[in-house]
Amino acid sequence: MSVEVRNITKKFGRYPALHGVSLKVASGELVALLGPSGSGKTTLLRIIAGLEFPDTAEGRVLYFGEDVTDMPAYKRRAGFAFQHYALFRHLDVFENIAFGLRVRSRWSRPREAEIRERVGKLLQLIQLESLAKRFPSQLSGGQRQRVALARALATEPRVLLLDEPFGALDAKVRKELRHWLRQLHEEIHITTLFVTHDQEEALEVADRVAILREGHIEQIGTPEEIYDHPATPFVYDFLGNVNLFAGHAREGAVIIGGTKFPAPGMAGGSETPAAAFVRPHDIHVTREPGGAATFAARVKHSHAAGALAHLELERLDNGEPFTVQLSKEQFRQLRPRPGERVYVELRNVRVFPEGDPT
Amino acid sequence: MLGFTLFYSGLIVLIPLAATFAKASALSPLQFWHAVTAPRVLASFRLSFGAAFLAALVNLVFGLLVAWVLARYRFWCKRIMDALVDLPFALPTAVAGITLATLYADNGWIGRWLAPLGVKVAYTQLGVFVALMFIGLPFVVRTVQPVLEDLDVEIEEAAATLGASRWQTFWRVIFPTARPALLTGFALAFARGVGEYGSVIFISSNLPGKTEIVPLLIVIKLEQFDYAGATALAVVMLVVSFALLLLINLLQWRSSRHYARI
Amino acid sequence: MEAVVTAKTARRRSPTAEPPLVRWLLITGALLFLSLFLVVPLLAVFAQAFAKGPGYYFKTLADPLTVSAIKLTFITAGIAVPMNCVFGLAAAWAITKFDFPGKNVLTTLIDLPFSVSPVISGMVYVLVFGAQGWFGPWLIEHDIRIIFAVPGLVLATTFVTFPFVARELIPLMQAQGCVDEEAARVLGAGGWQTFWRVTLPNIKWGLLYGVILCNARAMGEFGAVSVVSGHIGGQTNTIPLHVQFLYDSYNQAGAFAVASVLTFLALVTIALKAWIERKETRLKL
Repeated sequence: MSVEVRNITKKFGRYPALHGVSLKVASGELVALLGPSGSGKTTLLRIIAGLEFPDTAEGRVLYFGEDVTDMPAYKRRAGFAFQHYALFRHLDVFENIAFGLRVRSRWSRPREAEIRERVGKLLQLIQLESLAKRFPSQLSGGQRQRVALARALATEPRVLLLDEPFGALDAKVRKELRHWLRQLHEEIHITTLFVTHDQEEALEVADRVAILREGHIEQIGTPEEIYDHPATPFVYDFLGNVNLFAGHAREGAVIIGGTKFPAPGMAGGSETPAAAFVRPHDIHVTREPGGAATFAARVKHSHAAGALAHLELERLDNGEPFTVQLSKEQFRQLRPRPGERVYVELRNVRVFPEGDPT
Repeated sequence: MLGFTLFYSGLIVLIPLAATFAKASALSPLQFWHAVTAPRVLASFRLSFGAAFLAALVNLVFGLLVAWVLARYRFWCKRIMDALVDLPFALPTAVAGITLATLYADNGWIGRWLAPLGVKVAYTQLGVFVALMFIGLPFVVRTVQPVLEDLDVEIEEAAATLGASRWQTFWRVIFPTARPALLTGFALAFARGVGEYGSVIFISSNLPGKTEIVPLLIVIKLEQFDYAGATALAVVMLVVSFALLLLINLLQWRSSRHYARI
Repeated sequence: MEAVVTAKTARRRSPTAEPPLVRWLLITGALLFLSLFLVVPLLAVFAQAFAKGPGYYFKTLADPLTVSAIKLTFITAGIAVPMNCVFGLAAAWAITKFDFPGKNVLTTLIDLPFSVSPVISGMVYVLVFGAQGWFGPWLIEHDIRIIFAVPGLVLATTFVTFPFVARELIPLMQAQGCVDEEAARVLGAGGWQTFWRVTLPNIKWGLLYGVILCNARAMGEFGAVSVVSGHIGGQTNTIPLHVQFLYDSYNQAGAFAVASVLTFLALVTIALKAWIERKETRLKL
C-alpha cells in the first residue's frame, strides 16, 4: 500500500507548518521524517492519518492511488502510534489491543475466538503474553509503547504511522526498541512512516529518510545518500558533527590555510569566498607535513575516554577552531599534546558558496 | 497546633455526636425497632430515600449533559452558565425552598403550564423530587466536569485511528473514564438529598405518611420532646451517611489508583 | 472539478468533534435545562421581591424584626467563620505537613458535618445542651441559656460550617507539598515565620475561597439553626428563619424581599469563586 502526499500546505493561525510538501512512499517502505522541532514533520504525519486536514484544495493524500484527503480518520485504516502512547487506561493490555477489532461494524467484526487468536499472536510478537491482564498504569514506558504498536497493528492497517514513538523513553530502551522495530518491519513489511528528531535513529532504522525544515523537505534519500552527499548545509549540519573552514573556492578546488583541497562541484572561474564542510572523522593528522596537501594547526585539547578519541585543534593562520575524531589506535600513534604543532589533511571536503543559509 | 486541632474537633463534632448515640442507646433494641418501623416513620424513609435516589439518578443524566457541554463547547453564555451551576450550592436552602414552592404552585410561573396537563408539583411528592434535583445538580456536574476537561485529546484521536466512530469513542472510551466521577457525583447528590430540609419543607405539603421527609419528622419529634424517637431516626440517618461517606472515599481511592497519571 | 472539491472540503470534521447538529442539540438541551432549573428560580426571587413595588421592599428590609435578624446573622457568622478559619488552617497544616497515627480519622472527622443532615446537626446540640440534655440541668442551675439562645445558634452554625475551610485547603496544600516550607526551614526561618511568609501566600486564594464558602453557608444555614433556635422574633431569628417566618405569615413579598438579600450574597459568592478560579488558572500557566 503506497502512500503519497501532494502539495500539502497547512497553517496554524499565522504559524505556517507546511509549504506545498509532496512525498511518495513505496509500498512496504520504511521512511523516516526527520527534522528539528517546528519543521512540520508531525503535522505531515497527522495529515496523512486524517487527524488534521490540509488547508488548500490542492493538497491531497493518496493511499495506493485512492484519494483519501476527505476521508475521516476512522475510515482510513491507518495505524497510528503516539509519542505518549495514548493507551486506554480503563482497559487492560488485551482489551487495548483488541479495541480496533471490537469497534468494527457488525458484519466485519471478527468472532470472539478469532479476536482472542489475533490478539494472542500480537502479544507474542511484542513478547508481552504474560502481561495481558495488566493495566497500562502497571507497565513500564517501553512496554506501553509496544502495546501501543500492537494495538495499531491489530486492525491490519494499510499504513503504519509513528509519531516520535521512542521519544519519551530512556536511551537504552530507545535503542532496544529501535532494533525491534526494524526487525518487525522485516517481518511484516507494512508501509511505515515515522517521525523523529533523532538523526541516529532515522539513519539506523529507515529505508529512506526525508529531512524537513520549516515546512519544506530539504532532501530525501537513503541514509547513505544523505549522509555522504548532503544537498544543503542544513542537512550536512543536522546529520552529524561538522567542521566549518573559511576559505576561497576556485576552479573545482578550495584554498584553506594556503593549501588547496579538491572540492568537486565548485567549478567556476572566479574566486569566491566559500565555507568548506568536513566531518571530524575525515580529517587526517600528522606530525610532519606529508606529501599530501596539509596545513598547520595547533593542538588545544585532547580527550580519549570512550570508544573514540577527540582532538580540539586551531588553525595556525587564522585561529579557527575545529575538531578531529580519531580511532584509539591512531591516537596512540600520534600522541598529541596541547600546544604542539601538527599538520592536517582534509578529506572528502564539501563546499557550499558563502552565504548559503545554514 | 495538633493539640488545638484535636481539641477543637472534639468539642465541636465528637461530643455532640457521642450524645446522639448515647441517647439512642438509652433505648432498648425493641424500643429502637419500634421507633424506626412505625408506619409514619417508614413512609418518611421511603420518601426521603426514594426521592433522593430518583433525583440523583435523573441528575446523572442531566448533570453529564451539562458537564459535557460546559467542558467541551464554546457558546455565548458559557461563562455565566458555568458559574450559575453553583447556585443551588451557594443559595441558602430556605430561599431555594420558598422559590421552588412559589414557582411550581398552581399559579406559579412554571406550575401554571403544568396544571392544565394535570401535573401537580407543589405540595406533592413530585415537588420533593424537584427540590432534591435542584439541590443535587451541582454535585454531579462539578465532579464530572474536571474529568471531562482533563481528558487527553490523544486518547480520542487514538480511538479514531483504530476505527471507532464518534459515538463509539464516547461510549467505549470517554464514558468509562467518567464513570467513577459519575458514581461519586451520584453518591454525593444522594447523600445531600437524603438529609435536605430547608429546600423541601416549603414545597412539600408535609402530610404525615405521604409527603413528610425524615428530617422534618425528627424536628417534629424534638418539638414533642420525643427525644428517644428523634435520636433513633437520627442514628439510622447517620449510619446511612457514614456508609455513603465511606463508599465515596472508596470510589475515589480506587479510581485514583487505577487512573494513575501515565 | 473545483466545485466538487470545495463541497467535499466543507464536510471535513476534526476526528474529535461531533457533527454540528449533535453539538447544537446538546448545547440547546443543556441550556434549556439550566434555564429552567437555575435561571428561572433566580429571576423569580427578584420578581417576587419587588411584586409589591420597591417601597414595600425597602420597608420590609428596614423593619425592626428584619434588622435584628440581620444583626444576629452577622454576629453568628462573625464568630463561626473566623473560628473555623483558624481551625481549618491548623488542621490542613497538621494533615498535610506531618504524619501521625489517626490522620485518616481526623480527615474523616472533618468531612463528617458535611455529610450529616443539617437537622441532625442542630439536634445533637439540643441533646447536649437542651433542657433534657446531658448538661441541661447544670445549665439551668447556672442560668446559662444555650439552646433557644444565641450561643446555640453559634454552635450549630460552627458545626455545620466546620469543614469548609479545611476541605478547601487540604487538597491544595497536599498538591503543593512541603518543598517550599523545607526550603524556608533550611534558610533558617522558624515555624511561625515559615507559616506566615511561605505557606500563607501560597494558599491565599484557596483560603479566601474557603472563607467565602464558609461565610455563605453560615449566613444561609437554615435546618440546623431552625432546631436550636426558639424562633423568637427579634431574638433568635437569623435571616433565613425570618424568611420562613414571613413566608408562613403569608407575607410572600416580604419573605422574598429578605430572601433577595441572601440571593445577592449567593451571587457574589459565585462570582468571587469564578474570579478566583480564573486567577488560579492564570497563575498556573
